[in-house]
Amino acid sequence: MSKSKLPTALIRLQREYRELTLDPPDGITAGPVSEDNFYLWEVLIQGPEGTPFEGGIFPAEMRFPKDYPLAPPTMTFLGEMWHPNIYENGKVCISILHPPGADPNGYEKASERWSPVQTVGMILLSVMSMLAAPNDESPANVNAAKMWRDDREAYEKKVREGVRRSLGLDA
Amino acid sequence: MSDQSLNIPQLVVVLVLGFLAVRWYLARPATSATPHAPGVRRSPGHRVNPALVEQVAQMFPQLSRRDIMWNLSRNGGSVAAVTERHLSGRGLETPPLSFQSDLPPTPSSSRPATTAQPPKQHPDLITRYNLASKISQPPSEPAPEKQKPQWSQSKAERQLDLQRRREEMILNARRKMEEKDRLRKAAESAS
Repeated sequence: MSKSKLPTALIRLQREYRELTLDPPDGITAGPVSEDNFYLWEVLIQGPEGTPFEGGIFPAEMRFPKDYPLAPPTMTFLGEMWHPNIYENGKVCISILHPPGADPNGYEKASERWSPVQTVGMILLSVMSMLAAPNDESPANVNAAKMWRDDREAYEKKVREGVRRSLGLDA
Repeated sequence: MSDQSLNIPQLVVVLVLGFLAVRWYLARPATSATPHAPGVRRSPGHRVNPALVEQVAQMFPQLSRRDIMWNLSRNGGSVAAVTERHLSGRGLETPPLSFQSDLPPTPSSSRPATTAQPPKQHPDLITRYNLASKISQPPSEPAPEKQKPQWSQSKAERQLDLQRRREEMILNARRKMEEKDRLRKAAESAS
């Protein structure tokens, strides 16, 4: 027992949790749901200012694979989200969460995709900027993408209403 | 040419037989290969106690009740085992398509993890994080000593600290939005 050998993933996730606690990026709260299982996190992201998501807080779940950080985690928003790059079930589709080997859509640069030097903090900041600037090249939510492209006003209204509802206020 | 025209009916026969064989093979396990839960599908005698399903669903609202029920029926109704399995990150066993959970419709307050769901089913943050009682309280002024982030040595303290930061973030957002509403209303009535 002199040299207890924790899995790399666990050591890394514990370190990231500590760093995110001591020096949290603006508008982000992140940590494991329970420290009994470091592979499941619940995070809160604040909606970026100057976007229809402004003022909102968006909870999401991150699941880490056992071979993290070799493989990326997955991220799923737990509340209502209307965004071209978020599936209707909440799953986030963003290049930083895609492993460099697999490029299902053939449009992402390898440098934008997951690599072990990326961190939870970097993912969350990327997702935040994704909220501000959707990428409509490969929409996860086709209807949201269509609305975003064709009727920006309606899109923003829908997002703002969702934000109000999520805070327990009348839309 | 004549070879080909002979082969097509043969091919059809082979396909049909193959299809039937596969169907027969797939249909068998559902009835015979589930020794722990012989009658789960229909017989009410072996049904999983809905209270247990509810118990797991309360803990993990993202799980589908059908999955929970299947897993409970597989392990003899052990909530602990299902919880353990979920928390270990292995994920629950997926029930076969033939499995019917016979559950009453899920209450609207919970959030089933099934695929398409109207947005209405998402609980708002106040409900989700149980903050209703804290909304009306005045904001806990970040007293002069502005709280510096700390890394406690105690696991329980860290957990509490994280929860407090989550709640603060949500309550702040809610207060800000309410404040905005007030200002807007004031502006409207002034003009």
